[in-house]
Amino acid sequence: MYFLLEQILNGVSSGAVYAIVAVGMTMIFGVMRAINFAHGEYYMIGTFGGWYATSALGLPYPAAILFGVAVTIVIAYVIGKFVMQRMIGAPVEASVVATLGVSLVLQNTAILIFGGSYKFFSAGYIEPVFFGDVGIAQQRLLIILVCILVFLGLELMVGFTRMGKTIRAVSQNIEACEVVGIDVKKVVMTTFILGTALAGFSGILTAPVNVSVYGGMGEIITFKTLPIIVMGGLGNVRGTLAAAMILGIAESLVAGHFGLQYRDSVGFITLILMLLWRPHGLFSSRARF
Amino acid sequence: MNNTPLSTTASDPKRRNLRAPIVIALAVVALGAPMVLGTYAVHAMVIALIFLLPAHGLNLLVGYTGMLSLAQAAFFGLGAYASALMSIHLGTSFPVNMLAAIALACVIAVPLGIPALRLRDTSFVMCTLGFVIIGQAISKNWISVTRGDMGLNNIDKPTVGLAGYSWTASNPVEAYYLALVLAAFATWVFWLVVRSPAGRNLVAIRENETLAESLGIPTWNYRLAAFVIAAGFGGAGGSLYVHYISVASPLMFQTLYTTTMLIIVLGGGAGSITGVIFGSFLFVALSEGLRIAPELRMIAYGLSLLILVFRFPQGFAPFLMRIWDWAGGVDKKEGSA
Repeated sequence: MYFLLEQILNGVSSGAVYAIVAVGMTMIFGVMRAINFAHGEYYMIGTFGGWYATSALGLPYPAAILFGVAVTIVIAYVIGKFVMQRMIGAPVEASVVATLGVSLVLQNTAILIFGGSYKFFSAGYIEPVFFGDVGIAQQRLLIILVCILVFLGLELMVGFTRMGKTIRAVSQNIEACEVVGIDVKKVVMTTFILGTALAGFSGILTAPVNVSVYGGMGEIITFKTLPIIVMGGLGNVRGTLAAAMILGIAESLVAGHFGLQYRDSVGFITLILMLLWRPHGLFSSRARF
Repeated sequence: MNNTPLSTTASDPKRRNLRAPIVIALAVVALGAPMVLGTYAVHAMVIALIFLLPAHGLNLLVGYTGMLSLAQAAFFGLGAYASALMSIHLGTSFPVNMLAAIALACVIAVPLGIPALRLRDTSFVMCTLGFVIIGQAISKNWISVTRGDMGLNNIDKPTVGLAGYSWTASNPVEAYYLALVLAAFATWVFWLVVRSPAGRNLVAIRENETLAESLGIPTWNYRLAAFVIAAGFGGAGGSLYVHYISVASPLMFQTLYTTTMLIIVLGGGAGSITGVIFGSFLFVALSEGLRIAPELRMIAYGLSLLILVFRFPQGFAPFLMRIWDWAGGVDKKEGSA
């Protein structure tokens, strides 16, 4: 029983990580109508930034978070300027190929600079806390808390700020936005940087739990984000949170009952089943895009 | 790519008539290259020839039918594993294995294609990517058959037997000629497919599916057929590859293979046979031959993809067409366009 509770708690915390990564991807899809196949690479960049800050610069963990996010933002800005802005209105094939290209460049540059070996991330708060007999690492609680804060912040931003309103407007109709004078390029750029910064942020948040840091780590995150954003309904922020929790808990239960090697298959089987039966997501009755 | 009949204008004294010499020169280069090049360069050319097979399949999907599929690497891996397992457990020879790999890839493509082809655009891309990931998961976890991450080793070099006489491609030079024959045969088959009325119907589907359907073309059947044929090309490539490098491992389902096929087709020019052949040599043989570190090569691939998509969406095909037109044109500026 406690075992099951622990598994569910761990599932919720990995779900929280997926949620923070996936919400960025789904928002980027909303404004660009393009799947960002490089999204996991920003998670990797954030993690590498945090790892570099703690192990090479000797910064404390909170400062490492800031450093990692800052590095992610700078790289995202450059990619946004040179690649993402050109993708507005481009055909689907072009955006798939372009983001695959970005993914290759980022991933292999990291391997080239830092080497292909696994690195050890030693900072963070990994001592467990106990609620009765159920133990959970402090870091996992922190992740869940941060996830709640991030989603509250996003809800407020999308609902009430001018930026949030323009993001919603662009995701509904790009031409109409241009007619009324919304700077579509700027909105795309802001959404892209916000989304990738969230991915980088969640990378550093999970690093103490995952411990290992390596260049190819972003790929699996991209692959897990795809089923989540499809389940949540592409472009749907709240749906993404729910879908991420479902995947996180399902993975945790599968890992606990069938073995760790089957954990990563859950996502892609979910993706294919979703695409076949409910391509518009679990929570909406018809496709938005 | 011989669209313009030469015979009608051959009597024109101003014509350059360089097309036949170019074709002959390329044929001589293709046949004579292994005698001049070193072993490693020949190996690089073998890899390029092998990758031409799945690239033809991908070209059929991307260039002729207008579907961006990432599943080609899954069928490549499937063909490789099928061949390897047959070679190890049944001891069958290379031609049997290759035919079996093609047949298996085609058969498996049907149940995969039926659901996948219902999807469009991004969803189709994600679904086909899913097939590769599932292939990788199976090859890693079905340890009793695939030996997991250790892979299958010591697969026989390709042996071709005919009427009691058998010949084994045991070194890169021999493998080169085998791959050259198979790649040429595959190119001929591919040419037959795309030049047939069926091939023209595929192009019609690419250009406007609704209009094609209204003209009575059963678009669904054609798209499924294209997916299955492409899978067959992928399986053939995988079979040849595994017999050449003699190892099958889950690494075959890596992004590297998908990307390589993608860059051959997009770089060479989707919808152009010569373009894809050119792309295969340019991107695979060159990068393999220069022995660049794998990371640098991946970075170069990534940058090439970006440049191709935004600057040369048609790849090198228009450039090749210009040379071809120049070669068959007249000296003055009134050359055919």
